[in-house]
Amino acid sequence: MNQYFFFVISYFHSRNIRIMANLYSFKRSFRIKTTGLMVLFFAGFFAISQAQVRTITGVVKASDTKETLPGATIVTKGTTTGSVTDIDGKYSISVKSDKTILVFSYVGYNTQEIELGNKTVVDVLLDPKKTTLDEFVVIGYGSVRKSDLSGSVGSVKSEDITKITALNPVQSLQGNVTGVQVTSTSGTPGDNPAVRIRGVGTFGNSNPIYVVDGVIVDDISFLNSNDITSMEVLKDASASAIYGSRGANGVIMVTTKMGKSTEEKTVFSFAGEVGIQKLAKKIDLLSGRDFAIVSNEIKPGSFNNVDAVANTDWQDLVFHTAPMYDFQLSASGSSKNMQFYISGGYFKQGGIIEKSSFERINLKLNNIYNLSKYVKLGNNITVAPYSQQVAPDVTYAVYRANPTLVPYYEDGSFAVVYNVGNPLANLAYSNNFNKGVRGVGNIYGEVNFLKAFNFKTSFGIDAGYNKSESFTPAFTVYNPDGTISQQQNLLSRLNKSSNYTFTWLWENTLNFKKDFGKHSIDAVAGYTMQNTTSEGVNLSGANLLRDGSSFWYIQPSYIYDPTNNVNTISSIGESVDLNQYYSMISFLFRVNYVFNKKYVLTATIRSDGSSKFSTNSRYATFPSFALAWNVSQEKFMQNISWLNKLKVRASWGKLGNDKIPYWDRYARVESNILAIFGVNGDPNTGASFGINGNPNLKWEVTTQTDIGLEFGLFDSRLTAEFDYYNKKTEDILILLSVPGYFGNGSGAKVRFNAASVVNRGYEFNLGWRDKVGKLKYNIGILGTTIHNEVLNIGGISGVDDALIGGYLGNGIPVTRSIVGLPIGSFYGYKTDGIFQNKAELDAYPHSSQAGVGDLRFVDVNEDGKIDGRDRTNIGSPIPKFIFGFNLGFEIYGIDLSVNVQGQTGNKIFNAKEVVRPDPYNFEAHVLNYWRGEGTSTTEPRPSFGGYNYTPSDRFIQDGSFLRIRNVVLGYSLPSAWSNKIFMQKIRLYVKADNLYTLTKFTGYTPEIGSGDVLSAGIDYGIYPITAVYSIGINLNF
Amino acid sequence: MRTQKKLYLSILVIVAAFSFSGCKKFLDKDLQGTLTQQSFPVSASDALLATNATYESVREWAYNAGGFPIFDIMSDDARKGSNPNDAATTVGPYDTFTHTPTQDGLDRYWNALYVGVKRANVVIEKIPAISMDAALKTRYLAEVRFIRGLIYFDFVRSFGGVPLVTSTEPPLKLQRASAEDVYALIIEDLNFAADNLPLKSGYQGVDLGRATRGAAQALLARVYLFRHDYVNAEKYALEVINSNQYGLEPLFIDANGVDGNNGIESLFEVGAIQSEGTGSGGNQYANTQGVRGTPNRGWGFSRPTINLRNSYLAGDPRYKGTVINLKDTIDGVVILGDGSTPDITYDEQGNIIEIECYSRKVWVPGNNTITQWGHHRRLIRYADVLLMAAEALNENNKPADALIYLNEVRQRARQGNNNILPDITTLNQAELRDIIFNERRQELAMEGWRFWDLVRTGRAVQALGPLGFIAGKHELLPIPQSEIDISQGSLVQNPNW
Repeated sequence: MNQYFFFVISYFHSRNIRIMANLYSFKRSFRIKTTGLMVLFFAGFFAISQAQVRTITGVVKASDTKETLPGATIVTKGTTTGSVTDIDGKYSISVKSDKTILVFSYVGYNTQEIELGNKTVVDVLLDPKKTTLDEFVVIGYGSVRKSDLSGSVGSVKSEDITKITALNPVQSLQGNVTGVQVTSTSGTPGDNPAVRIRGVGTFGNSNPIYVVDGVIVDDISFLNSNDITSMEVLKDASASAIYGSRGANGVIMVTTKMGKSTEEKTVFSFAGEVGIQKLAKKIDLLSGRDFAIVSNEIKPGSFNNVDAVANTDWQDLVFHTAPMYDFQLSASGSSKNMQFYISGGYFKQGGIIEKSSFERINLKLNNIYNLSKYVKLGNNITVAPYSQQVAPDVTYAVYRANPTLVPYYEDGSFAVVYNVGNPLANLAYSNNFNKGVRGVGNIYGEVNFLKAFNFKTSFGIDAGYNKSESFTPAFTVYNPDGTISQQQNLLSRLNKSSNYTFTWLWENTLNFKKDFGKHSIDAVAGYTMQNTTSEGVNLSGANLLRDGSSFWYIQPSYIYDPTNNVNTISSIGESVDLNQYYSMISFLFRVNYVFNKKYVLTATIRSDGSSKFSTNSRYATFPSFALAWNVSQEKFMQNISWLNKLKVRASWGKLGNDKIPYWDRYARVESNILAIFGVNGDPNTGASFGINGNPNLKWEVTTQTDIGLEFGLFDSRLTAEFDYYNKKTEDILILLSVPGYFGNGSGAKVRFNAASVVNRGYEFNLGWRDKVGKLKYNIGILGTTIHNEVLNIGGISGVDDALIGGYLGNGIPVTRSIVGLPIGSFYGYKTDGIFQNKAELDAYPHSSQAGVGDLRFVDVNEDGKIDGRDRTNIGSPIPKFIFGFNLGFEIYGIDLSVNVQGQTGNKIFNAKEVVRPDPYNFEAHVLNYWRGEGTSTTEPRPSFGGYNYTPSDRFIQDGSFLRIRNVVLGYSLPSAWSNKIFMQKIRLYVKADNLYTLTKFTGYTPEIGSGDVLSAGIDYGIYPITAVYSIGINLNF
Repeated sequence: MRTQKKLYLSILVIVAAFSFSGCKKFLDKDLQGTLTQQSFPVSASDALLATNATYESVREWAYNAGGFPIFDIMSDDARKGSNPNDAATTVGPYDTFTHTPTQDGLDRYWNALYVGVKRANVVIEKIPAISMDAALKTRYLAEVRFIRGLIYFDFVRSFGGVPLVTSTEPPLKLQRASAEDVYALIIEDLNFAADNLPLKSGYQGVDLGRATRGAAQALLARVYLFRHDYVNAEKYALEVINSNQYGLEPLFIDANGVDGNNGIESLFEVGAIQSEGTGSGGNQYANTQGVRGTPNRGWGFSRPTINLRNSYLAGDPRYKGTVINLKDTIDGVVILGDGSTPDITYDEQGNIIEIECYSRKVWVPGNNTITQWGHHRRLIRYADVLLMAAEALNENNKPADALIYLNEVRQRARQGNNNILPDITTLNQAELRDIIFNERRQELAMEGWRFWDLVRTGRAVQALGPLGFIAGKHELLPIPQSEIDISQGSLVQNPNW
């Protein structure tokens, strides 16, 4: 190839040697444009025969940056004669007549034609192509041009993914993609957020699946945000149907970075960030004095002098600021036959509660090897070791701890905190660790044959090893009089568990892609197999030789302590992880047909077999269809200059869900039940029927319809996307409480296909992108409405019309899902003021526990008495509207972005306030208690629990919020400066996450995530989320 | 180039061939490490395992009235206990009869009882088909029918009629059976047990603790006493007495203490080992009531009332055998009690209403919580059988015979001190009825019987009315609201709840 190239260059008599220097950049730009080179080659041939030439010169620049474009081609129209620009964007070309039309082109820019006339100097400004039109979108088992896409897919790019400092890159979807809700389940370092796409479609595991470079995984906490090129959220049935059974809760495609095949120079990037986290908000609790006042009201004489009591702010004692670090160094590039990306990253998040932290190292290696024109091999590999320390659950204790008690005695030892235990002692004696490694990756081979076909086989693995250990030394917290308090651990205890999981996924796909005139077909057929196994070992022992960590190993002697003649809780156990033991076989097929770039038809079918179901219900087939019409491609639209894009699309399809523990279909036997017989009290083993299984379980099926409209106005400065979605999930797999007489035991639940639910609503995403002078800016607004409704509840479980859930610590359920209401709707008494006097008390039906000054519960069923039947719907945990705003500005190298998100229409049940078997501290509002007739209609006379703390709407709070989730202010040094120190790019930034939240909710955060949809929106007293302030640097060199 | 192409083509073919040969077996994933209900019980050793498991259900914490000894707390023998605030709103209401259908513990109790029923049903339903030693098979069946009868008797006393489950696959929407039907099943089960179980002496030492003929007969006597069928009560109590299998421990404290574990006085007890955890063999019943504070033996629930303390005549050793006071030294351990509990609690008029003290009946020698878990709870002991016999005989107009058994109990209580607890001599039926009733309190206090004795003899309103007891309501616990919710109304609440 190169010899042609030299030939061309030399033929054009480049007047100075610089053209030779230009060779390098030329080659780089046009390496793959074989046809372009051939054109030039022939151009040279024809040029030889020409005579009477004159020379035209000029400079080619980009219209947006005004920078010169080296390597742009200039061709005389109708011929193959041409030239290229040099390193300064200059060119010269010989032409024979004034009528010559010169065609200027450059990769990524619109081609421009100029009639020469009598000009001898022609300078050209080329306009960049509107990339949105040609953007490729990653879909399952392939990618399509955005214009050829018939489904609903949301996308986030690298720069937005790295804006949020978070362990899990999925956090970046919140507020950036419509229809996606990412909620932190707690602020515990290392915890994964709950992700919901288009509402809650099932009662069980509602998390979407992730496909990382073709490997299907359950979460992406092992990935560093900096390693990701893009994340695509496949929302409607058409887009996710290719993942059939796996896609009912949505699919998130993650593409990690790869060296570009055009760049030979290796690009190094460094991203470093250091931040500090603090408690975003404190809960307003009673001070010591106020607590004493309320206590005296409840029980006169509790405190003789309320001004003399201690005032301990347990929140201040337990929550601290904590650091956060995130560093990543990567290199990417390519050589003749190979592209690569390698990176190493380190992430560490301290916890705002002592003894909690998370630390992770990422190593990433992606390669493509082009063995020949037809054969390609590749790999994407991530290895991520991690280490986590988990603090004991002290948040609840902090919330409850009596503020009149002090944390330490005068001698410095831990003081007793009645009923809840001294949280500082709990922390001091806690040693809880998880350490492990996760390796995810695949190797693949691709063969192109007969021009239109591509066969790909990919073998992927997801292997994880985790070791947990927890050690508690023997300790005693004493009462002030020296007696032993309830906070005591008699013998040191050590628990250890190791867990190993391994998944392999083998996927074989055959692609066919061909254009026949105006028809183009892109089809894929495939066969995949997956197997997941796991095994875990648990050991526990007691009375270790020494407390130090070098003695944290379980020896046989730790099982029994002969000197004290005591048996301890000691156990060994080995089992599979119930969620990590299954296999699947799938057949898939999809065809995408485009006619004349205007009409798109997609049909997908996938058949899945899952080991989680019995033989007769094992396989299910999931079809989907979609149509799209690129209206703007029609002739009649060409005259509407302000409307440059208009597309209408519609899709329908079915998806499945089998996310249940593998053993749910089996009726199990519980073994190792001990009966103690004999004068010496000897254990005799026993076994009996445990929980009822359900052998009739079958696939849960979601049917989704989507109608979408996309348009671009004013040269795509304004872009908009609207969707209507309707997602109906039937035969929902759910664990239900069964009647006690089944003998499964308190709290035991059995899985059923028991209900159906609809989620429907509208999504919109509006973007405006423009520039004013030097200022570039963009504004994005997105929103999703959710209407969630239970359509029916099956009778097979013995529960005909309600699913009960949301159990509080005292076993009382506070959610009831019934037909016509959202999933997990709160359930309790409605209150109507306070009994102001005896007459009022006598006038209304009331509980035997109610007195004057207590809450008045509404006799909802009007049967003249207050009992369980008067409990009713008191609110929904599901927001009606989720929204986000994004603002971005860029000028003189300064960039500023602001991300705001919020939701409205949901309620929160403040469960931590309700469960109070003992006298705990109160939230501040309790101070406004009823003191006699007319003093309050909302805050009853104080009590340490009991009647007024029966679950009622008193504990329902508005869950709406508006949060400034993220503000980033960056500065990129001018390239002249950075080049001096051999850097291509230097960017410095400051950032704030969770900067401010506007909400009425009294707890730490209104974002209450929950893995259990029947317990959503219930604040049980979680590890609070934090505000993070950080500074960072990005370097490219 | 050609060879390479061939290579690629053959790889393609191999891959394709492998792919489509995916067999059905690949999707078969058996249950790992756990038996299924289809594969158990199928052998003689399985039969033993299933029988043993049934016994465990009465060692479950929640089997004990949901965990907290609410039947003592609901009686005039005990107050809630622990420190004043601990569980004040969860357990406290039982003390004042302000508990409701959502009260803590009700659902635990209900569920725990049905776990026992299920385990018994597994044996009753599956064992007959197993080919094994016929005598052993019959014994296993009789053992679990004893336990099923015991549990349904707990049910019918506590809740009245309940869904009557007699198979491992009960139908949906099962409604409450009548109390009569429940009693019919109890009597049938216990008769089968009494007819087929060995005497206590028929067991090897390592099997002591299994159900015996004597236990079944004693339980029948108790059931008939609750039914006011004094003829049958007398019959079965006397059968136990005349079996010569049982006697009284010389020391009253041994009747419930470690030295009397599986001893002469024990008809049926719940074996336990000193281990902090039900799964590892412990019984939390004693931990729940153990001395709170120093020594730390437990939570200190169910505190003997002033009324009970004062009911003992001076010098009755049973006082010390029932109540642990602060500063007592027991088995070398000095009782200091709990710092957050007032030593003495007064009412607004300055009367003493509570003194910090604990139940002696659950005491296990030791100074920590772990040892406390090793207490063997006595469900039926011989002194109770003697008093049941006395009561039945008196009701059957045989006062002279009644006195024999009553005085046997008093004689042991005396422990050789002839200055106290003289023999009773009256033959007046009404007088004797009151004396026997009172003797039951002195002897069996804090063992869970006082409330039932008050209820079954119609004395509850008189004794408990001042505490909040309402006749026609509080004789039974309410059906747990959670069960009514799940049943969607097919379970009907007890009257007046």
